[in-house]
Parts: sequence; structure tokens; C-alpha cells
Amino acid sequence: MKRDPIVIVVVAMVISLLLVFGVEKARHRPDSSPDAGNTLKNQLAPDFALASLDGKTTIHLSDYRGKAVLLNFWATWCVPCKIEMPWFVELQNEYGSQGLQVVGVAMDDASPEDIAKFAKDMGVNYPIAVGKESVGDAYGGLQFLPATFYIGRDGKVIDKVFGLKGKGEIRDDIKKALAQSSSAPVTPSAQLTPPATGKAAN
Amino acid sequence: MRHRVTANVALGALLLVSLFCSRLVPQEDIPGKKAPSITMTEAPITVVTRGKGASVDLHFRVGAGFHVNSNTPTQDYLIPTALKLNAPTDIVVGRITYPPGEEMAFTFAQEEKLSVYSGAFTIGVIVRPLASVLPGKYEFRGNLKYQACDNAACYPPKQLPVSFEIKVVKAPPAHVTNPGQSPHVHT
Repeated sequence: MKRDPIVIVVVAMVISLLLVFGVEKARHRPDSSPDAGNTLKNQLAPDFALASLDGKTTIHLSDYRGKAVLLNFWATWCVPCKIEMPWFVELQNEYGSQGLQVVGVAMDDASPEDIAKFAKDMGVNYPIAVGKESVGDAYGGLQFLPATFYIGRDGKVIDKVFGLKGKGEIRDDIKKALAQSSSAPVTPSAQLTPPATGKAAN
Repeated sequence: MRHRVTANVALGALLLVSLFCSRLVPQEDIPGKKAPSITMTEAPITVVTRGKGASVDLHFRVGAGFHVNSNTPTQDYLIPTALKLNAPTDIVVGRITYPPGEEMAFTFAQEEKLSVYSGAFTIGVIVRPLASVLPGKYEFRGNLKYQACDNAACYPPKQLPVSFEIKVVKAPPAHVTNPGQSPHVHT
């Protein structure tokens, strides 16, 4: 039986492309992509216990249950993170009385002292914790920074934003988080004064 | 009839190809959709005379849509692109010359100028084998440390393995002047 060479060529092309596509898909594992953070949407934000910059206190995310939390993963080497920080300071001042709490997690190899100096230079007025890879993994694997999670008063993730966005978008997300009423009863820990709120950097 | 079937098969296959190709197009505007990378072009073997210095040019390329800090970033907290090399015994690594960075700024902070490399850049390395080094090929190994960003996000610092070879040769015999010959030209 004689086969049409065009059909053979086309079939070979399709098989090759399927192979290339398969390799490409395998290379970009779904759990390491920013989309992995999407799986947290409407889920309880993973709690963590991380050291503050001075090492004297432990920051638990659950301490802020009952507040709208802007959880920002950042690093000193990340310029877009630095661009956002003065906005967070401003928005913490503006919306703090309405129940907003910005929490920073430094995913940095720098020493806590260097991170504290950086935060102080930036005039940071919200608590900053020293990050761990396991916490990053719990938030979908942070391949790059900044990564910001908006958490409602009930502790559930409302939205996540990867990369630098405009201040207007951040404000809109904060309003969404604040607007969400707490469906869960406020735990006693949520009424605790956060370890370093109002200080330059802990 | 047979040709029409063949044409339909070909058209269907092309549609499939287009579909897969569209999935493979880099989505550079979406942070994290593509991993940043620096690649090094394989350096040709440089011939170096022992006892003398020579420059080896190492060519790198930053992936499209990304940039890395230059060797002299504008802020102390930024991680410079830096080459570290382990030299073979009795071969000295001299001055490493980095290109000047290009100026750039992120969308929301135009006033904060950064010094970066994007696209192709070249780092020059001076190597000098001591006079005692045996002629032959020698390999240098090391790492290029860099920290990449795209237009909205930054990626953790990484290290690219770097290697290149040089071929050490003996100095050509010194020109021996005939002592019996007068330096003056007689015509």
C-alpha cells in the first residue's frame, strides 16, 4: 500500500510538536507557577509562626484574625517590592483604623539586622517577619517577588497579586478585604496587639 | 477525491500546530510565566604565552524580557552581577572587566534609575600563567552570580556555572642579534 508522503510529513510534524509541548508542560510544573497561589483563593490562609526581625517575638498570621490582612512577601534585593513599601505605609495609616493590617514577610538571605535597617530606612510602620521557604511553599511556592495576598477578616484568602501593581489596584484590593465581614468568630488571639504595629521595624 | 482528503488532513494538522504554537509563545508580560535565564556562549580556546597576560572575553545573554543588575548597581542593597573564577595552579586571574550598565526604571518609579544588563553583554578576564607553567590546555571554572527581574517582579539570586579553556604556550625564542654584526647599516 502506497502512503501519501504529505500525510507522513504532517503526522511526523504533529508528533514532534506534541513531544515538544509535553516537555514544555513538564518543565513548568503547575505547583511552581504563580497560578498555584490561586488554589488558596477562598481557602483559609496558611498560618505561620515566624520570628520578628529582632528575634524577640513570634508573629503568627492567626494573631490578626478579625482584621483584613495584606500579607506581602518581599526581599531587600527586589526593587518592585521597595517601590510598594511606601504605599503600604501610607495605606496602613489610612485604613488601619478600619481594620487593615499590613504584614511583611522578608524572603531574604540578608541578616535580620540588614533587613531591619532596610525596613527602617523605608519608614515601615507594620510588622515584618523573617520568612522561611516552607511558608513560601505553603503560599503556592514563591518563584518571584513581590507576592501579596489579601486576606479577609475571616482568615480566608480573597485575592493574590504577583508582581508590581499600581497603588490604585492595591487600594481596591484592600477595600475588598475590608468589606468582607468576618464569618468566623474573632479568636482571642486576634484581639492581641500585633507585636510591632506602629513601630518602624521590629 | 484523494487529494481533497489529504488537503483536509494537512489543514487539520496545521490548525493543531497553530494551537500548540500559541500555547508555547512566551508570555513575557505576565510575571513568572517564564523563568529568567542567562546563557553563556562557549568561549573559543585562547592561546596565552606563559609569563604574559591575555584577555579572555566571555559572552553572556540575558533572556528576552528580563534584565539583571550590572556589576555596579545604583543601590547597595541590590545584588551585582559578579564573576568568580577558580584558576588552575600557577595561573593568575587578573582584572575582570564588566561592561557599564544600561539605565532603566520600573513603571511606577521612573525617578529611581537602575543600572542593568539586558540582551548580550561581555565580561573580560585577564589571565596570566606564570613562567613556570607547563605548556598545555588549562580549564577555568567558576560562577556568574546574578539576580534577574522582569518589568514587574524579581527572581531570587542565581548562579550560572562558567567555564573556559586557555592554551598556554612557550614564549617564542628571543631574537638573538649577531654580536659580530655591526648595528650600523653600511651601504
